[in-house]
Amino acid sequence: MDNELFMNTELLPPPPEMAVHFEQPSSSSAMLNWALMDPNLARNSPPQDCFMWEKSTEQQQQQQQQQQSIFDSALSSLVSSPTPSNSNFSGGGGADGFIIRELIGKLGNIGNSSGDIYGAPMNGNVSRSASCYGTPMSSPPPMMNRATPLTEFSGDPGFAERAAKFSCFGSRSFNGRTNSGLPVSNGKIISSGKLTRVSSTPALKALASPEFAPASRPMIPAGDPAPKLPGEFTRKRKSVSKGKSKENPLPAASPSPSFSKTAERKDEEEKGGKRRREDEGDEEERNKGNDTKAAEPPKDYIHVRARRGQATDSHSLAERVRREKIGERMKLLQDLVPGCNKVTGKALMLDEIINYVQSLQRQVEFLSMKLSSVNDTRLEFNVDALVSKDAMISSSGSRVHESGLRLESLSHHNYNNNSQLHTTVSSNNMMLHSPMKSLEPSILTRGFTHLPTLTQFTDTISQYQMFSEEDLQSIVGMGVAHNPNHESQSQNMKIEL
Amino acid sequence: MASADKPINTDVPEKDVFALHFLQSLSNLRRQNTFNSPEKTNDRVKKIKKAAYVSMARAAGGTSRLWSRALLRRAAKETNKVVRFSRRKKRVTWLRRRSNRRDPVEEEEKEAERLRNLVPGGGAMETSKLIEETAYYIKCLSMQVKVMQCLVDGLSPK
Repeated sequence: MDNELFMNTELLPPPPEMAVHFEQPSSSSAMLNWALMDPNLARNSPPQDCFMWEKSTEQQQQQQQQQQSIFDSALSSLVSSPTPSNSNFSGGGGADGFIIRELIGKLGNIGNSSGDIYGAPMNGNVSRSASCYGTPMSSPPPMMNRATPLTEFSGDPGFAERAAKFSCFGSRSFNGRTNSGLPVSNGKIISSGKLTRVSSTPALKALASPEFAPASRPMIPAGDPAPKLPGEFTRKRKSVSKGKSKENPLPAASPSPSFSKTAERKDEEEKGGKRRREDEGDEEERNKGNDTKAAEPPKDYIHVRARRGQATDSHSLAERVRREKIGERMKLLQDLVPGCNKVTGKALMLDEIINYVQSLQRQVEFLSMKLSSVNDTRLEFNVDALVSKDAMISSSGSRVHESGLRLESLSHHNYNNNSQLHTTVSSNNMMLHSPMKSLEPSILTRGFTHLPTLTQFTDTISQYQMFSEEDLQSIVGMGVAHNPNHESQSQNMKIEL
Repeated sequence: MASADKPINTDVPEKDVFALHFLQSLSNLRRQNTFNSPEKTNDRVKKIKKAAYVSMARAAGGTSRLWSRALLRRAAKETNKVVRFSRRKKRVTWLRRRSNRRDPVEEEEKEAERLRNLVPGGGAMETSKLIEETAYYIKCLSMQVKVMQCLVDGLSPK
């Protein structure tokens, strides 16, 4: 899991770098850097792929259109150089549209990890695990968040400068943040006398600087709504949902609360630490009473607000964090285990889960027993083919991560003709081409003789409607002429490559 | 260090993957000469079972999950094979021991202990991570069961 997060973050920095530079013009203007980033973007192919995907799904989002229009007006002057290959995907207007949409996506998606942006398209477009980003989207985050912040700061001409000012707070620690250099917004924040807001803006700003450009997003709304209504901002912070699994439970009366809440959650994710930023008070209570706990325990990575009337001991806070994490994951398990919905309470649910796991393991054992007693003659044909393929693989000697290849091969479901086998094999597998060619004839001759049996095999299995016939043929056929793809997920790919 | 990523990834690869890996392992088993002898049924069963688990671990993403790692390691130990793992954080074990010593009396911890015994590699995980791994493990197990069921049905004589 850590690796997954690591992987997600690894790929993400390149794409968001654009936005980072946009918001942190140290020497040159934001516009110039933005324009500079365009050719970089064009050159950077892997992030571009993600942009493609993001764009392709963003096009499906209707909100993007309206935001695009809003943002177009604000940013049209900024974008100078077009990104060439984006024209394929941008139905809504070339380079400008792409960059704008990308920025919108980043800005609007604070509440979710940036992996989500890519995660949603991933799940839509690439069903297998070949995607760069494996994070699933349980449900698309409230996209409405996207629309709201833009309306706020699209009309703000000087937000770039403010963003620049914000960005000068580069450190990550929440403690002892001074409010140097930001009299305007911070003054208003401080004047309300709430500790939390003071620490929040630097915290958010701190996020802006280093790795994640999405981190910079919280800055912008923090800067912008700040002059509007500090009280609102307080409410935003307080209304951060406790559990990670909660989406936006608040009605999100005003756009900024939800936005900042998502900012908080984004903040949480990016911390990546065990401790995260939480606002655990009773939400309604907080909203009504507008009560803040002044005694926020100064931690490096967590901001866990103590509940009313509860100990602010760091131990108990950490304990609560842990417990909530566990609770949230139990909810995940609940969906998985059938019949767990009625049972409430951790202990009983755990019992159910344990029983379920035990039953599954027993099933595996039972089935393996059955398999061992099965008539093995049919499998032998398959085995021979697989054996030859194994020999091929061992000769090649390389462990190729071919999840992409796998996708292709599975998509070529026509294994009826050997010519198609040829084509799929040759088209997919570059590396093993030479040994493949040498062994192909022998394999295929064997494949010919075995094909009837294999088709019988697949027929019988497909009767049970578990696999489609094509799938089975592909599986078995892949055994004939293809390597076993070590179907590691893309995260693994990154690690091991 | 438990990571606080918002969407918990419990994606499991398609059943094709599982099927493929399982068939592979079965074929490897077939190659062994002593396999088809009827006397050693128990051994065969065990081998098949082990093959099922190992193939499941491989299909489910190799070493990205703790339990799969543990399974593979366990299997490798028996066969004296060297298994190559990606970088593994030893700190996890340390953290877990420290945290679990704090409250072994809690009801939840007892349950967690049972779960740990069930899920491979559970001994080295914190409770929250354990639960996540369990979720993934359940998914993979059910997938594997489906695959095996299908195979058995397909191969059993009519």
